[in-house]
Formats: sequence, C-alpha cells, structure tokens
Amino acid sequence: MSNASVSRIPALELNNIHKTFGDVEVLKGISLKAYDGDVISILGSSGSGKSTFLRCINLLENPTEGEIIFKGEQLALTANKSPDLQASSMAQLTRMRQQIGFVFQSFNLWPHMTILDNVVEGPANVLKRPKQEAREYAEFLLNKVGIADKKHMYPSQLSGGQQQRVAIARTLAMDPQVILFDEPTSALDPELVGEVLGVMRSLAEEGRTMLIVTHEMNFAKEVSSEVVFLHQGLIEEQGTSKKVFEAPESERFKAFLSSTF
Amino acid sequence: MDFSVVIEYFPKLLEGAWVSVQLIFLSVLLGGIFALPIALARTSKNPFVNGLPFLYIFFFRGTPLLVQIFLVYYGASQFEVVRESVFWPILREPFWCAIIAFTLNTSAYTAEIFRGAIQAIPVGEVEACKTLGMTKVQMYRRILLPRAFGIVLPAYGNEIILMLKGSALASTITILDLTGMARTIIARTYTPIEIFLTAGVIYLAISMLVIAIFKQIEKRQNSYLGPIGSIKVPDKG
Repeated sequence: MSNASVSRIPALELNNIHKTFGDVEVLKGISLKAYDGDVISILGSSGSGKSTFLRCINLLENPTEGEIIFKGEQLALTANKSPDLQASSMAQLTRMRQQIGFVFQSFNLWPHMTILDNVVEGPANVLKRPKQEAREYAEFLLNKVGIADKKHMYPSQLSGGQQQRVAIARTLAMDPQVILFDEPTSALDPELVGEVLGVMRSLAEEGRTMLIVTHEMNFAKEVSSEVVFLHQGLIEEQGTSKKVFEAPESERFKAFLSSTF
Repeated sequence: MDFSVVIEYFPKLLEGAWVSVQLIFLSVLLGGIFALPIALARTSKNPFVNGLPFLYIFFFRGTPLLVQIFLVYYGASQFEVVRESVFWPILREPFWCAIIAFTLNTSAYTAEIFRGAIQAIPVGEVEACKTLGMTKVQMYRRILLPRAFGIVLPAYGNEIILMLKGSALASTITILDLTGMARTIIARTYTPIEIFLTAGVIYLAISMLVIAIFKQIEKRQNSYLGPIGSIKVPDKG
C-alpha cells in the first residue's frame, strides 16, 4: 500500500468478466474501473448482459472467467467441477459484500419485518454495532429517503417507490464503499420513478461511488460521470456522459438512443 | 344405548386423553427439534449431506406408523445389546417406545414441511441477505428461519392433527391412551358405541384446541399479510 498515494487505486476493478449460461455466452469479456466518486451508468437493450454483469461483481452470479478487485484487493476465485468460478474464501466474499451495496429491481425487502427492522438488520447484526446506535442510524437514513413516518409498517403496506427507498436505506446502513443498482426503477409505476431517482441523485451528489444498470436515459445523462453501453456481452460504447450522449461513435448505440429517447 | 356408562367412565377416558396429549406433546416437541437439522441438511446441495436425511425421510414416510411402532417395541428388545444397555429401562416401557416411534415418524414429516417452507422463500429475499454480507448462520438465524416459520404454520398444524390421530396406534402396544382406555372399558361394559363416540368427541375437542392455538399463532406471526381473508397483494407501483 506504500505507493497508494502515487497511483490511484480504483474502488472497483473488473477485468475480463465472462459468463456462460449453458451454451449461451452472456458476457464475453468486460472490463471496467470505478474510482471513488464515479457514477457509472450501464446501458443496453434487454439481453445485453448488463444485469448479469452487475450480479457477477458480488457473486450473486458466478462468473466463468475474470478478476474482481475491490480497493486493490483481489477476490480469490477458484474453478472446480462446475464451469463457474467460486469464491475461494467465504470469509473474504462476505467481507467484500458488506462493503458493496446492492439494490434490486424487485426491492427484496424481508416482508415479515418492519421497515425499521429491515434497515437495522445490517448494522446491528452483520456489522455488530450497538443496537441503539444501529437504530438511530436506521432512523436517520429512513428520514433521509423520506420514509421516517412509516418505520413501523410492513413492506407490503408501502408503495413500490417507498419500498425501493427503504431498500436503498437498508443498503446505505452498511456504509458501503460502492453501491450497485440493478434497474432500480424498472418495476415501478411511472409516477413513482421520480422519487427513487431523486434519492439516487442525492447520493450521487454526495460523491458516492455507484454503478447503475438503468433504462432511465435522462437520469443517466445528467447524473453519470461515465456511461457504458453493452451489446451482446461486450462493451460497445464507453465514455463520459457528455461524449457518449452528444457524440456517440457506435451505430448501435445511436440506434439505441433514437429508440429510447 | 346406555349413556350412564359414559358418565361412570368419563374420568377414566380423560385419564386416557391425558396420556394421548402427553404422547403428542412430547413427540411433536422432540420431532420438531430433530426436524430442523434434518431439513437444513436436506436443503444442502451436497449429496453427502442431503443423502442420509433423504433416506431417513423416505423410510419414515414410506412405511406405516404401526410397523414403526412394532419395530421399536418388539424389534429392539430382540437384541441383547439393547437389553443390556443403559437405554433398556427406557426401551422396556411401552410409553417411551411410542414416543420414540412417533418422534422419528413426525420428525421425518416435519423436516419435509420445514424444507418446503425454506425453499418457498423467494430467492430475492435470500439474495438480499447475501448482498448485505451475512454469513450462512446469520442468514438462517436472523432472516430465513423466522421467515420460514410463518410459511410453515398451516402445514405444521396439520401435521400435529395427523399425529393426534396417529397416536391412537399407541394402544396396540398396551398403552392406555384415549383409544386404549376406551377399548379396555368396552371389554368390561360391552358398550362400544357409547364409549367410542365419547372418545371421538374428546379427540375432536383436542383437535379444535390445536387448531385454535395455531390460528392465534398464525394471526400474530403473519400479521404483516394483513387480516386473514383480506390478504393484501403487494402492489407493484
């Protein structure tokens, strides 16, 4: 770590990620670096592999090949009988997962626990913080995402937009270094999309490092520091938000833009 | 029909019912405790871990409870090792033989119910545990088992009712449970209809009690689903 100050270490570095489902190669070698404060939007039509790529980062999906390096520390992967790579050490994987937040398309709150308990769970029982401290922090975060008044309700009593904001609070409660968003607004009614994007926008403004798989073009354009367009498992277009949206090079990305705007 | 025998022998029938309740309570309690590790092993993907529980469940679900009772009661005493072991004072008693057979039987069924409940948890909720960096133990202890408990309740209540009815088989190995007591009384009084009817009513009363208890637990445990009858489907938007 002695030369850390000299060369900037990416918060997250992914090298040559491959993923095969049966005979179908979904990811054909994707590399990406995210530095602290980067907000990277990952775009692509459905089936382009963008969600799979995101899920490979914290091994919700096991990549077939590739390297995952988190803050300079490489996640040890081993190949066994199955074609996929497995984490060599569960301890290392869980430690990394604790620092990499993940927000799902379908929220995935635990329905039998109150909103507050959903958010308290991480800091209290995974990070082992004192109960009272975890609770206060959870209340602070629920307030931040605008759900404080519903903390004693159950997830099924909330709208989708509210559930997603709780899910974001649950992720924030772990104080993650990087947050991965997997189509966070795709399961929402159009009028509820704005409230979730609003929360994400404020997180971006705080300088949090985020990787966002999304279909919200305007949001991607305004908030991202970098945009990546995937096509059939490969990066087709990549660059700053300004460059990519104003002067795209790839014909496919141009076609994609004209079909979505 | 002579219902005066019912009044005369009712205390004896209640005595038998108490033995039945003890049989069920103990075997369901022990069976539930054993079922948990069996169910967890059964959900494992490792064939070395899930193989043994599979065979265990296969055997106890696939053979009659009566055969299992006889195997324990008549079978175990054949072996000198058993007769000379420290367990003999227990294995000599029909009551404990019945408890052993019932526990083995109900733990197999209950394990399958638990396994079903654990696997019925939506995969996204499990992934949410993983992304927070929970260890397997934290995941099961904090989230999955409490979640499965709510799912398991209706089926588990059913299993206890089945056990209650199955407990009548204890009478075949000289135990004076409700059925055994009824048969003993009938042998003396020759009033099968009166006594068996009464025994049936007592069984019904116990069933109703079990159902009522489970309804209460379900109501509390699954309150997040809203009042029963108006189960709220989480809206998408």
